[in-house]
Order: sequence, then C-alpha cells, then structure tokens
Amino acid sequence: MTGSLSGVASVIGIGQSDWVGDHKRVRAGERPHDSYGYGAQAFLSALADSGIARDEIDGLIVGPTTAYERVGELLGLNVRWGGQADAMTAVMEACMAIRAGLASVVALVYGNDQRSAQVNYGGPDAQGGGAFLAYVYHAPWGFTSQGALYAMMARRYMHERGLTQAELGEVAVAQRLAASRNPRALMRKPITVEDYLASPFICEPLHLFDYCLINDGGVALIIAEAGKARRAGRAPVAIKGVGRYDLNRGATSLEPRLLDYYLPAQQAVAAQVFEMASLGPKDMDALQIYDSFSLHIPLALEGYGYCPVGGAGQFMRETGISLAKGLPVNTSGGHLSESYMQGWNHQIEAVRQVRGEAGDHQVEGCRHVHYSSDVAGKAISIIYGA
Amino acid sequence: MANSQPVVALYDAPMWESLSRERMQLQSCGHCGTLRYPPGPICTTCTSLDYRWTDLSGGGEILSWVRFHRAYFDDHPPPYNAVAVRLDEGPIVVSNLIGPEPEGEWIGRRVSLVYRRHLDRTQHAFMLSEQP
Repeated sequence: MTGSLSGVASVIGIGQSDWVGDHKRVRAGERPHDSYGYGAQAFLSALADSGIARDEIDGLIVGPTTAYERVGELLGLNVRWGGQADAMTAVMEACMAIRAGLASVVALVYGNDQRSAQVNYGGPDAQGGGAFLAYVYHAPWGFTSQGALYAMMARRYMHERGLTQAELGEVAVAQRLAASRNPRALMRKPITVEDYLASPFICEPLHLFDYCLINDGGVALIIAEAGKARRAGRAPVAIKGVGRYDLNRGATSLEPRLLDYYLPAQQAVAAQVFEMASLGPKDMDALQIYDSFSLHIPLALEGYGYCPVGGAGQFMRETGISLAKGLPVNTSGGHLSESYMQGWNHQIEAVRQVRGEAGDHQVEGCRHVHYSSDVAGKAISIIYGA
Repeated sequence: MANSQPVVALYDAPMWESLSRERMQLQSCGHCGTLRYPPGPICTTCTSLDYRWTDLSGGGEILSWVRFHRAYFDDHPPPYNAVAVRLDEGPIVVSNLIGPEPEGEWIGRRVSLVYRRHLDRTQHAFMLSEQP
C-alpha cells in the first residue's frame, strides 16, 4: 500500500533571503521587506539554483503567512495546480500533485516578516487561535503562547521520563555549536550547559535558550518530477519517503501533550516513512527536527526509535546529538540558533547536507537525512536521500 | 498589552454562566456519560449528540504546572503559575493554583476547585486539598 510516493519527486533548487543581513536591519529599526518580498528573494535564489526556466513551473505552494494568489501574481506564475501549506505539508503535497500528474515542477515559496511586524505568539493577540483552539482557550488563566504549552508538557515529561534540565540543555548547546559553523545562522556564539542553566526562565521549566528565535526571512524550494529532475542538470535530492499522523482527540485540553507526549503519532509515522523509503533509523546520517522549542528533540528521538522510550536524556548526554559527537541533529542550528523559518529552513538544510554543500557544518558522507515535525501533535516526516 | 479574555463560543456560554453562580457545570454525555471540555456539540468518545449539564465534584489532581516569568497580559503580572488539573470526572482543565504552594513535587497533588472573581467574571481556580 505504501511506496507510492517514494522517489516520485526530487528537490532541484533551494533558496533563501539574507537572514543575517536583514536581522541586523530589523534590529536597527528598519523594515527591509514584507513577507512577500522575503518570499520573492528566496524564490529567485531557488530558481537560479535549479537551473530551470520560470515558465517550466506549473505548480505553486505558498506558506501560511502569505496569500496564494498574490504570491503567484507577484512571481508571474500561472500554474496548473497550487495551494497554501506549512513547510512539511507543502513537500508532501508537491509529491502528491506530481504523482497524480497534476504538476511536474512545483515552486514552494515562504516569506515571513514576523519580527519586523511584531507578531505575538502569546497574550491578547496570540497567533494561531483560529487553527488551534488550545492557543487561546486557556487565556483567562494567563496561559497562552506555544512556549507555555511546551513548558506544561516538558514539566510532566521530565517528571515521568526522568529527563533532567541539564540533559534538555544539550539541545541548545548542540544546535549553537552547529550555528557557530554556519555563516547563515543568526546566533553563532557557542554556549555551554552552564550558560543554558543560568539563562532566564521564560515559562518555567523552559529557559530562554529552549525557545526559537523570532526573525524575518524567506525560503523557497523547487521540486520536480524525478525524470525531469535528472535532466535539469544538477544533482537532484530525492524525496524517499513521507508520512503523517495527527493527534486531534483531546487537543484543546492538552491530552496528546500531557498523556502521550505525541508518541503514538510519531510511532505511526515512523512505521510509514521508513517502510516507504525502505530505510531505517540506522541509515540516517543526520536529523532535522522542527524545534520551536528544545523539547521537540527528545520527543522525536524517542518517537522515531533513535533511542528507547524514556532514553532521550541519556542519549543526548552520552551518545550526543551534535556535529562533534553522536547523531547530528539540526546541523544548521535549527530554529533555536539559525533562523525561525517555521520548518522551511530544515528542508533546505536537509538538501544541502545530502548535496554535500553545507561547508563547515557538513556531516561527512551524508547520504540520508530524516526530517520530523510534531507541532501540536501533528506528526509529519520526510526522508531525503541522494 | 491588554487583559485576558475568555473564548465564549455557543456551548461555552452555559459553562461561564455556571461559573458566575459558583457552581461549575460541564456537559455529561446522555449516552456514555463522558464529560466534555471544552464544551461542544458532540461526544468525542461515542459521538452522541445528547447531553445534560452536570455539577462537578470539585476534586482533581495536578498533572503538570508552569510558572510564567514574562508578562503576556495586564491582568496576569509575572511571576504566576498555571496548572493542568485532571478532574475526578475525567477532563483536563488549565487553571491557576492559589493559596499555599506545594512543598516539593506538585505533580500528583490533590486539589479542590474554588471560585475567584477576576476582572468582570468569575472563573475557576484550585487550592491544595487538605491532607487526608
């Protein structure tokens, strides 16, 4: 039953805006671009990287922060198929559309001016309440922000599974090490577990360094049907497997978070994605894990079988999750230290790693990269390979 | 910033009205008895549309808790806590723990529902239960 999307499509182009340069300008009080401008810059860079002509694009997916028609209008793209989706769903949908013959070259375009537009993820104007009731329902008790939701989850997870605060700190430390080797990363000064423990709490038990950055920027990918990708002239990176499982029951009262830690969703996706790719956890050379908060990393390590359930703390401390030691996770610095591009930067980092173009943060001999996200208990997974 | 506001959709209104009477009620499924939180049109366990509003015992247990160190609302100056409480009837509610805080571990401690005036509304809070 599975296997149908494996190898159907490949990434032939990746691009991004100048996260570092624009971040400096935003911090100086400027608004360099809006979401559409960031998306346009990323698109141009991905198109140039792909080597194909703009009029070969016949599919378009835009990120949730921009209107579909306006992006298509600005980029001059009339297409056979299109829509709006988050990063991980967009990659899956591109594969589905290509498989169905509805499109052969799909542009994925994301732009977000969340920092310069002063977007709030908590408080009276908390984002996302229209899609996720839990983000706003508990406001009368002062309980909003995705950080607070993950803090509530982290406290009980630490109590039940024995993860220590210092072990959780290994995530921020490992990702900062990666960012220190990545010129595209915003936060490059290495930190230690001691620095992590000394950093202020935002919503206890989560510290400042457990939280993602908030910055402006854009990311784009060009995904093509596999045969077309091979003729495009540059080494394509294949999408070898995809999987998805959503926990919706009890979501507003936090049951998937506090009772299951998303585990059943990740285990269901693991079975699907590894079977589809005919690969297993041992074949993965690097992991990219959606990290709005550090807690996502231990959850995914356990959920996808990289360590036993309850073993993530020991795995992160002893085996390691950094470029220096063990299984490298979020090799660009991720959302915590590279750039908060809502899962989009993880996709282009996965492609760079498989291409062998990641420079000082390259994982040697990287052939397969596993991407995982579990935002609000919606588990999605993608395997990229040469 | 601004003050916090409750979400009061169609099925929430009777719950908030019961809070204002200091006698919190939730919908009990007319078929299987499962309580609904947040209130809603259908039982998520058995899909029955039938329900009746029912009183709560007021007992529960702390599943998890956090402490905010950053201001998000004018009416919740930091530091303040939030607790996730598993009600004895089943649902998990997010609330605040008021009164004395536990010494040592919070998770697993028994708590009792109390009512608190907050701005122009009455909402629930929890206090540590007397030790047996």
